[in-house]
Amino acid sequence: MRPAVVALLAAFLLSGCLASKGDVALLQSELHGIRDANQQADATQRARVDLLVSMIQRSLDSVRVVSQRLAKLQGDVQNDHYEMGRQILTIQELTGQSQRRIQELRASLEERNQQPAPVPAVPGDTTRPAPGGPGPAQLFQSSLDQLRRGSTTVARSGFEELVRNYPTSDDAPEAMIYIAATYAAERNQAAADSVYGLVVQKYPSSPKAATALYKRASSLRTAGQPAAARGLLDRIVKEYPRSDEAALAREQLRNPR
Amino acid sequence: MIRRALLALAVLAAPLSAQDTTRGVRIGLTYDAGTRPGVVVLPSRGVGADSLRAILQRDLGFGDRVNVIDLDAAAADAINRGANSWPILARLGAAASVQVTPTPTGLHLAVYDVAKQVTALVRDFPAPPMTDARGWRAAVHGLADELEESLTGTRGVARTRVLFERNKRIWLVDSDGEQIVAVSGGTGIHGSPAWHPGGSMIAYSSINPWQIVVQDLVSGGTRTIAGGTGVFISPVFTPDGASIVYAHGVDDGVDIFTIPTAGGTGRRLSVGRGSDNTSPTFSPDGRRIAFMSGRAGHPEIYTMDADGTNVDLLTPLEFGENAYRASPDWSPDGRVVAFRSGNGSLAQVLTINLRDRSLKQLTSEGANEDPSWAPDGRHLVFVSSRSGSKQLWVLDTETGRTRQLTRGAAVRNPAWSPRLPQN
Repeated sequence: MRPAVVALLAAFLLSGCLASKGDVALLQSELHGIRDANQQADATQRARVDLLVSMIQRSLDSVRVVSQRLAKLQGDVQNDHYEMGRQILTIQELTGQSQRRIQELRASLEERNQQPAPVPAVPGDTTRPAPGGPGPAQLFQSSLDQLRRGSTTVARSGFEELVRNYPTSDDAPEAMIYIAATYAAERNQAAADSVYGLVVQKYPSSPKAATALYKRASSLRTAGQPAAARGLLDRIVKEYPRSDEAALAREQLRNPR
Repeated sequence: MIRRALLALAVLAAPLSAQDTTRGVRIGLTYDAGTRPGVVVLPSRGVGADSLRAILQRDLGFGDRVNVIDLDAAAADAINRGANSWPILARLGAAASVQVTPTPTGLHLAVYDVAKQVTALVRDFPAPPMTDARGWRAAVHGLADELEESLTGTRGVARTRVLFERNKRIWLVDSDGEQIVAVSGGTGIHGSPAWHPGGSMIAYSSINPWQIVVQDLVSGGTRTIAGGTGVFISPVFTPDGASIVYAHGVDDGVDIFTIPTAGGTGRRLSVGRGSDNTSPTFSPDGRRIAFMSGRAGHPEIYTMDADGTNVDLLTPLEFGENAYRASPDWSPDGRVVAFRSGNGSLAQVLTINLRDRSLKQLTSEGANEDPSWAPDGRHLVFVSSRSGSKQLWVLDTETGRTRQLTRGAAVRNPAWSPRLPQN
C-alpha cells in the first residue's frame, strides 16, 4: 500500500514540473487579465455607489431644506391663523361697539324726529307731520337705561312696548331677553322662563335664541331636572353650533353633574 | 342755554343738599349743609384711655365724614379743670363732643350735642381686656363705626381689614394700617386674595402647584378647592358665598370657571376662544360679573351674566388703540366699576359708570393699580408707586384725600374686607 501512494505522488509532482515556461506565462497573463477586469469592474461599481450615495445625500439635503421650509411655512400659517383669529375677534368687538353706537345714534335720531314741530309761521299750517311715539331704538335705549338704574318694572314696560309695536325690529329679540331678565331680577323665575321660551319660538334664527335656550337649561338644572336641561343643551349644540352657548353646552354634556 | 343748565343743576343740587343736611340727624345733630360736622373727642381717664382716644380720633378722621377737631392745650386744660365746656366746644366749631371711657367690661361711650347742650347718646360696648390687643382694637374700631353712624347716618369702615400679597404670602392689615400679620403659610407662592362675604374665610391662588385655596381665618385650616394642570388664579366668592369663581387655563387661553365653595367640579362660564379672561368681580346682586378679557387683542373690561351669557364690552374700545384695562372691582352700591387703565408707569385707577359709561380718573400721581372698594362704596384701596415703592394707599373718592396704608416691602393685589362681625 505505501509504495503505491509514493508512486502516485511522484507522478503528480512530476507532471507539474513538466509544464513549459510558456504555459506559465500564459497562465500569469490570464490571471493578470482577470485581475484587471475585476479591478475595473470594482472601480465602476464603486463609482456607481459613490454616485448613488452622493445623489442620496443631495436628495436628503433637499428633503431637509424642504422640510425646514415646510416647518417654517407651517409656523407662519399657524401665526397667520392666530393673528387672523385675533383680528376676527377684534372686528367682532368693534362691530359690537359700532352696533351699540349705531343703536344710540338711531335712538337720538328717533328722538330728534319726535321733537314737536316749530310753531308754524302761518297760522293754520298743519302740513308738518304730527309727532309719533318713540321708535324701537329709542325705546330700547331708554328701557336699558331704566334697567341699569334698577327700575325693572319701568324697563319691562318699555321693552314690552318695543316688542309689541316693532316685533320685526333687530332689537326685539334682545328686548325680550331683557324682559326675562327683569322677571329674573324680581325672583319670578317662572315668568322669566316663559319669556325665554317665547324668544326661541318667535325669533329662532336670532343669536339670542341660543342665549334663551341656555338660560332655560340653567333654570331646569337648578330646579333639579337634569334630563330636560340636557335636552335643551343638545338642541343648542345642534341648532346653534357656533354660538358661545354651544361651547358651554358641549362641556356640560361631556361632564354632566 | 347756560342759564338753563345752571337752573337744572340747581334743581338737581337742591335735594342733594337737603339730603346732606338730614344725614347727620341720627342723634338729632345739626350742621351746615355740605360741611362735615366738627367733632371733639374729649380726653378721658383710665387704663389705655389715651390709646382709646387716639384710635377713635384716627378712625373718625379716616372715615372722611366728620371733621375731627383737635383740642388745644388751653381748652383741654380748662375742660379737665371742670370748666363749663359748652362755650369752649362751640368756639372750636364742634357740633358734637365724644367721650369714651374704659370700664372693667368694655367701653363706655357718651355723645354730646353741643348746639343743644344735651347728652345725645350713652352706650356701653363689650370689649376684651387690653392685653388682647387685636380684640381690644377691633372693639374700638367697632365703636368708631357705630359712632360715625350715629353722627352722620352712615356706618364707618374702621372695623374692616385689607388682604394683600407681599413676599409670596397673603397678609392682613387693619383699615388704619395697624396689626399687619401674615395669613398664609406653606411652600407655595400665594396671590390674588379674596374675602368670603361673611368675613371669616378667604380664598387665594397658589402657584407651584397651581391651586385655588380656601382658608378659615379663625382656625387657620386650608382646603384646596380647585387645582391641577394649568393656571388657577384670581378667585372671588359669589355674593352669597356659596360658590367661588376663578380663572383657569391650560394651553388654549384662560377662561372663567365656577365651583361650589363646599367642593365639586368646575364649570366654565366664559368662552374666550383662546384669549385670556381673568379677574372676575360680582355685581352686588350677584347677577352680573365684570372681568378682564384680551379677546379684542388687548385687555379690556367686559361684563356678562353670572351664567356666562350676554357678554358685553364695558370699557370704550377704539379702533387702533392698544389700551390696557384690567383689575376690575364692582362697587358695593353697584353703580360703578373701578379698574386700572394703562400699563407700567402709565397705570392709573379709573371708574366707569354702568349707567352712562362715563369715565372718571381717580389717580394721577405715580403708577396706580389694583383698586378694591371698601364696603362703604366711598373709599378705595389701591397699589401706588408714589412713595417710591409699591404700597397700599386709601383714597376717599368724594374728597380725593389719600393716605398711605402700608410701608416696607412692595405689595400687590389688595382686597378690602366686608364689614367684619363682632367676635
